[in-house]
Amino acid sequence: MSESTTQPDAPPTDLTWHRVHPVTPVVRGWSVIAVLLVIVGNQTLDGLPAGQNMLAGDGWWQILGGIVVVGLIGLGYSALAWRMTTYAIDDESVRLHTGVLFRQQRKARLDRLQAVDIVQPLVARLFGLAELKLEVAGGSDSGIKLGFLKLDDANHLRAELLARAAGLRVGSAPARTAVPGGGSASGPGEPPAGEMPAEPGAVVGHVDLGAPEAPEQPVMEVPPGRLVWSLVRTVAMIVLVLAVLGLVGVAIGTREIGTLFTALPLVLGVGGYLFGRFTREFNFRSAISPDGIRLRHGLLETRSQTIPPGRVQAIRLTQGLLWRSADWWRVEVNVAGYGLSADGTTNNSVLLPVGTRDEALGAVWLVLPDLGTADPRALLDEALSGIDAGEHFTTAPRRTRVLDPIAWRRNGFTVTGRALVLRRGRLVRRVEIVPHERTQSLGLQQGPWQRRLGVATFAMHSVPGPVTPTVPHLDQHVAGALMDEQARRAREARAHAGPELWMRRDEVAAVVETIEDDDAKTAPYVETAPPAAGAPDDEIGDARE
Amino acid sequence: MTDHAFDLAPAPDQDPAPGQTPATDPAAQAPTGQVPSGPFDPPGVHWQGVSSRLITARLLSVGIFLLVPFVLGAVFALVFSLVWLWIVPAVALVIGIWCVAVVPRQVRAIGYAERDDDLLIRKGVMFRSLVVVPYGRMQYVDVQAGPLARRFRIAQVQLHTASPATDASIDGLEPAEAERLRDRLASRGEARLAGL
Repeated sequence: MSESTTQPDAPPTDLTWHRVHPVTPVVRGWSVIAVLLVIVGNQTLDGLPAGQNMLAGDGWWQILGGIVVVGLIGLGYSALAWRMTTYAIDDESVRLHTGVLFRQQRKARLDRLQAVDIVQPLVARLFGLAELKLEVAGGSDSGIKLGFLKLDDANHLRAELLARAAGLRVGSAPARTAVPGGGSASGPGEPPAGEMPAEPGAVVGHVDLGAPEAPEQPVMEVPPGRLVWSLVRTVAMIVLVLAVLGLVGVAIGTREIGTLFTALPLVLGVGGYLFGRFTREFNFRSAISPDGIRLRHGLLETRSQTIPPGRVQAIRLTQGLLWRSADWWRVEVNVAGYGLSADGTTNNSVLLPVGTRDEALGAVWLVLPDLGTADPRALLDEALSGIDAGEHFTTAPRRTRVLDPIAWRRNGFTVTGRALVLRRGRLVRRVEIVPHERTQSLGLQQGPWQRRLGVATFAMHSVPGPVTPTVPHLDQHVAGALMDEQARRAREARAHAGPELWMRRDEVAAVVETIEDDDAKTAPYVETAPPAAGAPDDEIGDARE
Repeated sequence: MTDHAFDLAPAPDQDPAPGQTPATDPAAQAPTGQVPSGPFDPPGVHWQGVSSRLITARLLSVGIFLLVPFVLGAVFALVFSLVWLWIVPAVALVIGIWCVAVVPRQVRAIGYAERDDDLLIRKGVMFRSLVVVPYGRMQYVDVQAGPLARRFRIAQVQLHTASPATDASIDGLEPAEAERLRDRLASRGEARLAGL
């Protein structure tokens, strides 16, 4: 990092350091305490001889005392951790200092900001608190988490950070009014919850920084009924139902209840997956603002995401076999920093959990207002449900039906002025869109069978995420030419790409005005064919004609 | 792919990978005499190969790896006079012969080319792959050399982009060439640096 001119131990004195909210230890620690109670409870009850009342003897006091002592130690440590956690922002970066024994100082550059999430776990919602997550492109766990803050403060801070990341100079930046987080009245011992309303205003004190919340225009929302139906129509649900039915059948046949428990892990796993998806994607709403794409969703834990313009690296639209009759699509994106969580589920890479074709195309439009083609609707229709080579798509040759008997007619690609569109899969339809300037590297692979048939698999390498754009079994000369041209197109697109500070681009202002003037909520691809997109300054205007 | 398995661990005792090599490359013995052509040989590209000492280094690491089951199997078979136990050294021997046949061709198939704006890396005999890495997309460059590789005076250069899928490593470079490549890639990357 060439920009880190300051010594790590001597941060610039003009920075205003802030603390997170004093209730944070309680919010973070409640699960530990709950687990402790459950364990102790279980142990005590199991360990008791039959018929003995646990409340009668002296053991009761010991157990209670133990819980209180452990709880106090935990609370004391988290209070200490809270006291050692400070953050500060300046025009170019966010700094976070954490750790009691092992101190960590982290600095994230705002021009590298990939996304900002405000997360409210269930317990934090009870306190009206939220955690601010700043994602930078450093792989998993590389972002900065500021938590917990009061929800209003988190919103203000987000607006502020996005404004600075966009390159806007916030007027009162040098003379910030926030109170430094030094004078905490509650002390490091235990911040009792009752004391919360008294001090936090001064301690957290991160309000009134001068950046207004960017106006936003709602684009679409997913009704709960459709979300439930979409989950019912998944393979996971079928597996679940079949498993339960089979088990009940076996149990009735053998007259032994015990068999029911053998498949409990399966039922719990699949059910947990479905329940998790339901709670994560419940009440899903998306909006567009000058800051980028806004997503809000969640039933128990709510999450409010902001993905600034140009941060989406790749888009994927998926349609399972069971969604086809309703023509539902799921839209996921790759954003650097979001990555994939350890269990493979993505709770923040979803741009649209389930939507009609028009809504899915609207989601694509959020990312790529200008697809760089005269008739984006026709092109995307061909991508979504087309088969064989058509007006736009180049497909795998007929000889590859040996390698891919079902989907060979779908495997194909097309190139537009702004993006490469890849299409594959016939039972599960997939469409992947990668903007030219987001191409990382390109790969071509050929196995022995493919070589005999003169075909090769083309792959685009994107940042970690759910989307892995590939097209299998293209004719090898077509694939080779595609690779060569795509390398050139990516280079040219990068050369003309705007700066990282997106507000310094002229076109964005035009975009926002167009959005605000237009009250139609449907996406442009849905309507009649827009004219040829020529002027780069007014992309959305063109597309939304 | 298969080459990569070798690259990461020049010290054979730490490396479980060479044993897998024949398994992942079963068809590599098929007659594939012709030079790579078509999409894997774009026009106007001058490919550079890697040092032939990589062949020796790889064969040696495979040999050391296979020596253990070979010797143990043979000793136990002799001591306990179990005829069926000769399967173990026999399998080790077959794998070894296979590698002797395959590895030289694999190494000779490795090639790289510096173009004006990107680096091309070509690998594989039967399972071929070609990677194009734009200089402006490089995040960092690694140069690695394990004890065995140092003994043979070869080094590995690996390019990293923001994508974990980018498999861009060149093994078997002369140390001087590895350093030159590293510096050259770094300076070119800086000149063409772009955001994500």
